[in-house]
Amino acid sequence: MTTQPVKSRLPGLLLLAAVLVLLALMPLMVNNYWLRIATGALMWAGLACSWNILGGYAGYINFGHSAFFGLGAYVTAFLMNDPFGLPFLVTVPAGMLVTAVFAVIIGAPTLRLRGAYFAIATWAFAEVLIQFASAMDFTGGIGGIGLPPYLNERFFYFAMLGAAALTYLLTWLLFERSRFGLKVKALRDHEPAAEAMGINTALVKLQTFVLSAVTASVFGAIFAYWVTFINPKSVFGGDITDQMVVMVLLGGLGSLWGPAIGGVALFVVNRLMWMYWGDTAFYIALLGAAIVLVVLFLPNGIAGLFSGRRSNALEKAAGKLVGRVDEGERP
Amino acid sequence: MSPAAQTPAAGGEPILVVRDLYKHFGGIKATNGVTLEVRRQEIAGLIGPNGSGKSTLFSLVAGTVAPDSGQIRFDGHEIAGKSAHAVARLGLARTFQIPALFENMTVTENLLAAAAEGRWQGARERAAETLALLRLEHVAENRASDLSGGQQKLLEFGRAVMRQASLVLLDEVTAGVHPNIRKIILEAITRLRERGITFLIIEHDMEMVRSVCDRIIVMDSGRVVTSGTFSEIVRNSEVMQTYLGRPQ
Amino acid sequence: MDLFLQTLLNGLLIGGVIATFTIAFQLTFGVLHVIDFAVGGWVVLGGYLGYYMAAGLGVDGFLAIPAAFFLFGAIGYLIGPILYNVRNSRTARPELMALALTFGLFTLLRGGMLTAWGFNTRNVPTALSGESLALGPVTVPMIRVAAAVFAIVIAGGLFLFLYRTRYGLAIRATAENRQNAALMGVNIRRLSANVYGLYAGITAMAGVLMGAVYSVNPEIGLRYTLFAFFVAVLAGLGSVGGALVAALLLGVIEAYVSTYVGSSYSLLAIFATLFLVLLISPKGILRRGL
Repeated sequence: MTTQPVKSRLPGLLLLAAVLVLLALMPLMVNNYWLRIATGALMWAGLACSWNILGGYAGYINFGHSAFFGLGAYVTAFLMNDPFGLPFLVTVPAGMLVTAVFAVIIGAPTLRLRGAYFAIATWAFAEVLIQFASAMDFTGGIGGIGLPPYLNERFFYFAMLGAAALTYLLTWLLFERSRFGLKVKALRDHEPAAEAMGINTALVKLQTFVLSAVTASVFGAIFAYWVTFINPKSVFGGDITDQMVVMVLLGGLGSLWGPAIGGVALFVVNRLMWMYWGDTAFYIALLGAAIVLVVLFLPNGIAGLFSGRRSNALEKAAGKLVGRVDEGERP
Repeated sequence: MSPAAQTPAAGGEPILVVRDLYKHFGGIKATNGVTLEVRRQEIAGLIGPNGSGKSTLFSLVAGTVAPDSGQIRFDGHEIAGKSAHAVARLGLARTFQIPALFENMTVTENLLAAAAEGRWQGARERAAETLALLRLEHVAENRASDLSGGQQKLLEFGRAVMRQASLVLLDEVTAGVHPNIRKIILEAITRLRERGITFLIIEHDMEMVRSVCDRIIVMDSGRVVTSGTFSEIVRNSEVMQTYLGRPQ
Repeated sequence: MDLFLQTLLNGLLIGGVIATFTIAFQLTFGVLHVIDFAVGGWVVLGGYLGYYMAAGLGVDGFLAIPAAFFLFGAIGYLIGPILYNVRNSRTARPELMALALTFGLFTLLRGGMLTAWGFNTRNVPTALSGESLALGPVTVPMIRVAAAVFAIVIAGGLFLFLYRTRYGLAIRATAENRQNAALMGVNIRRLSANVYGLYAGITAMAGVLMGAVYSVNPEIGLRYTLFAFFVAVLAGLGSVGGALVAALLLGVIEAYVSTYVGSSYSLLAIFATLFLVLLISPKGILRRGL
């Protein structure tokens, strides 16, 4: 649901304020262990939002979003090490710039085509980066690359909080409160009609894609500095994209708060499973089952349950169970 | 006598000039040398049997499809081969035969999206006016996909209105709708023409053509065969029989 | 020179096996308009079936080929309607949701196999394993020749079915133009279930062959999904004729990179080629209809 219901927004605003206060005071309330978990949850909420920018609002599925997360991480790692030794805050915009260049190179030719080619191209791009980073010397090969340690949990918590808050603020302003968002949603729903309304769809799609990629790179940069060590699998790995996709689908594709809900929920489940069972392949199966179930029974995600289209969503789920569909292809 | 027939094409200066427009798809000659003019502030009807090239002509003019050869001059600009969004920005709006709505957006958002590229100032007020003009206020916050077929046609038309275009191409905008909705659209067309907007309308319904169009252009086999007022076309019984299949 | 020829032959033989499931993959796209991410999962499952039949029942691995067809054909027949419903549902973005569904299915298969069988690599044992065939100056493993022969039989059967039967005509008509096929009285929903079943069965058979020539593990599925995508992009999505050529090309590229550069670079080479093709000629370079 893209519009605010006509009813009062006060409860929502109060809830948002309470969450923000809670987030700001978090470091005073919990120990470092839980602060790390909170930092991770913020990162995933932000990453899910960055995936949703393109996937939810523009309707293009990116199966290689980890590529941009990894580019941000690698640029920061590369520039903070010898011979550059640059300060962290300088490396972040550098990573954003590199990411933007790559996004244009991939997006310009493939976004013109139907979504499937784009999905394949992004997926292939992320895999090429894994293979490339594993083979090259300057990336540290499979072994990876270390960063100068900075063991200040609060710094990383607030860095992630700031990045996530900015990502959500920007998404809200651009996609829920401006002309730009209308253009993006228009081309998502019907591209020829959007063109007929004077919208340069190729350009708007590319802008959206670059925005989505660049925000992911910021989280990659903070992540690299935070964990002080990265390797190709840990920042480019397909599992990172898988997780983002599940979080967005679970929370609600194309909704502002869906990715936050899905991101935090899934990350907490992940940590709990890790605590009780250790690193397990079962989590992968669970992710897959979650995607299947959400697509079949909750196509609007958790956010869809709260948006007044509830009865609609349930009806559809029920209709699907008995196999009632409308015939005919929709573009 | 219908009111439209009493109003000769105002101005007379052409807003759209199409010359020798060719477009072949494989062996099919969709348009085979179309030449026509639409004058400023007139309501021109485009009729002809199925497959005569009317919709292809719309796509060519609107920039959805690039022509093989020929010229399209719109409001002083040569637009043949320009992209659809560039043509739209010059002040040409179109509707799609099958409503091409932004289905996951509300009715109001559909109208606003149509104004997103262009003059944004006052867009919300214009959207409200358009809703009133088309009697869609009660569904303003509904999702476009939840509308009835007739309401979808109205919204399709409303988006073209929101473009504030100087020329609007309507592709069977009243086909298959309830007479009440047809009446709303017809009134809107007449009122918008008074504000200086030109219309080119593809239409199969002769009653609609008679009541609203100043001039009628008849196409067949990818060419324009004749044009004139409704009574002139009707008098040409050969045209009526061959192309409209309805002897008078 | 002998090595060069030998590599070419090896590549063509494997390309033939790749062709069987990529042709079915293309056919599925043509009919269902869904890109099946799970394709690699079916390949791996086929390989595991071969392994467990050979290890558990003590039969020759090749006997698993018909078993794979019927077992995974049946499973695919059950999944097909679900996929069709999602693809044609009134949810906000059916195309995207269908893609997400196959992606979820793939992840589920991969995670399930990892949980059940771990990361161990399994080979499908056959009577021909370890033998080799000398053809003049070049020697190729017998198992590859046998796999290629099976592949030709499977692909030939598929083509005969598509071009010599009424039902094959209905499938081709649907892939060509769904609306027209529906107008002519084809039950698209049932046909989609059948096509997905046919595709899953063929892909699992190819998996038995792949498991016999190489080996399988749950993580290798991604590689076969990549193969299918590579062929789809090179041939143009949905193009069945181009798929054969693209699959043979893929086998040859892989063989040459493995032999002359190193097998760790073969995936990089395939990904890079795929990526470049998408950048240069995004609609596929072998574009041709059914």
